[in-house]
Amino acid sequence: MHGTASSAPKIEIRGVAKQYHSARTVQALSKVDLTIADGEFVCLLGPSGCGKSTILRMLARLHKPSDGEIIINTAGGRVTPTAMVFQDYAVFPWKTIEQNVRFGLEMAGVPMPEANERTHRWLKKMGLSDFAKNYPPTLSGGMQQRVSIARALATEPEILLMDEPFAALDAQHRRIMQEELLQLWQEDRRTVVFVTHSIEEAILLGDRIVVMSARPGRIMAEFNVPFARPRSPEIRTDPHFAQLEQEIWNMLRDEVERAYGEGGHK
Amino acid sequence: MTSQTETSPTALRIEPGMAERDPSTFLRRRGRVEFALSLATPIIFVLAWEFASRMGWMDKRFFPAPTNIFDSAVNMYQTGLLEKDLIASTLRILAGFALGVVSGLIAALALGLSRKTRAALEPFLSALYTVPKLALLPLLLLIFGLGEFPKVLLVAMTVFFQVWISCMEAILTIPETYKEAARSFGAKGWSMFRHVTWPALLPQLFINMRISIGIAVLVIVGVEFVQASEGIGYRIWHSWSLFQANRMYVGICVVAIMGYVFGYAVRWVGIWALPWTRARTKV
Ligand SMILES: Nc1ncnc2c1ncn2[C@@H]1O[C@H](COP(=O)(O)OP(=O)(O)OP(=O)(O)O)[C@@H](O)[C@H]1O
Ligand SMILES: [Mg+2]
Repeated sequence: MHGTASSAPKIEIRGVAKQYHSARTVQALSKVDLTIADGEFVCLLGPSGCGKSTILRMLARLHKPSDGEIIINTAGGRVTPTAMVFQDYAVFPWKTIEQNVRFGLEMAGVPMPEANERTHRWLKKMGLSDFAKNYPPTLSGGMQQRVSIARALATEPEILLMDEPFAALDAQHRRIMQEELLQLWQEDRRTVVFVTHSIEEAILLGDRIVVMSARPGRIMAEFNVPFARPRSPEIRTDPHFAQLEQEIWNMLRDEVERAYGEGGHK
Repeated sequence: MTSQTETSPTALRIEPGMAERDPSTFLRRRGRVEFALSLATPIIFVLAWEFASRMGWMDKRFFPAPTNIFDSAVNMYQTGLLEKDLIASTLRILAGFALGVVSGLIAALALGLSRKTRAALEPFLSALYTVPKLALLPLLLLIFGLGEFPKVLLVAMTVFFQVWISCMEAILTIPETYKEAARSFGAKGWSMFRHVTWPALLPQLFINMRISIGIAVLVIVGVEFVQASEGIGYRIWHSWSLFQANRMYVGICVVAIMGYVFGYAVRWVGIWALPWTRARTKV
């Protein structure tokens, strides 16, 4: 009953809940159902601590759900169908920028000459060519973030998981990267799950926006973004853009207040 | 706020200093100054000693002048005595150090990477750690006889615990985020080890090798006091019992220099092997 035979969904999240058991038990996600089609660009919006990163971690098979199940339909033949851009970059300090970007390709078993070619192409795209031989501690936060993006994109994954990938970039660079990503994605539509705190960014990039509640996170609403593809950044000036932005913000505001006002109780 | 004093508006000027205007000269000069200072301290010490000794402020039987000690050293070198002792001690130190580092590293990996092995062996090894190693020397001599092996083994045991504990802790405290990043790209087993565990562990390994080689020198001197017919420790003890203060001081100086040279050698290998740890800016 899920979908038609012609297009099975890429990702199905069915009744997934997640608790973390450390010093105390934290209910990160309550019960999440989400279906993502092949080639869809889905944005996750929600207050801090609502479990957005947790969803991505489970999709990357780093954590397992406490309840429910996740089905990922892959084409097969890869070490892993996903590549992730981490919120805290997670670039390896002991590898040069170049080695960091090549890491994913090495793991995927891409032959050396091609891995080198792709590494340099992505370094160039991210404006990092001059720093290829540097070690990460000598780079700014925004530059390290770009290394992390290059590392993930270079592997050309079936599913791209991006956890606030542009958060550390300055406003100008952020815009350029958004436009770059928009174009890249439109060239070869991959499935993308994109976490952001910016409603504007979500509308600009996403096919669909999923709004989550404060912790324990659940899905409160989904918005289909009405703008046609290929999209250009000019849609920012469209009146419908502002309208949708307002609509989503009205929904989010209470949750954000709840997340902060709660101060950790319950 | 404390009582207001008379203030007038001032312009704070923030501008390049010497280091920023001419970094290469600055670095060269700073390097020279630091090098000179590192030499100055021992030179001043030796000169002060020489002076005090010549002035008769110190008992020459216990504190011979550095020039006398130096004469003694030249004499010991010419007779081949110094070389013989130096080689004997160095071989023992290096053999024991190598054995200790390798076995310590193996134990660190075995315990750091497997919860089960850790559960089985950590309490046991921790208990052994607190046994003073020198106290085991008589036992080792009984078991292995008077040869080289018990001496090397004692050094190895001391180094082993140092390397084991610190490297195991280094493995256990590798930030989760690096492991997750590697796993998210499909790394596991050997590739996880090669790309994350090993490089994350190396800085600790080198720090502890530097500490260990110093401890190895200490231990071998102690061992040679007790049981040896050559070696720097033997020379110090033997000279003392014959009341040859000069020779005793030669031995002490040689030990100090050995510790220094070995420690620096390890450090330099570390700097060469860990390029990312010297990535920080100098100015
Ligand atoms: N490894 C972990 N161990 C214990 N608790 C965790 C762990 N990871 C996340 N949590 C908890 O789960 C909840 C959700 O965390 P998550 O990182 O998914 O939030 P988020 O939506 O990504 O927040 P942000 O927008 O601030 O990044 C938080 O309360 C957090 O403290
Ligand atoms: Mg997060």
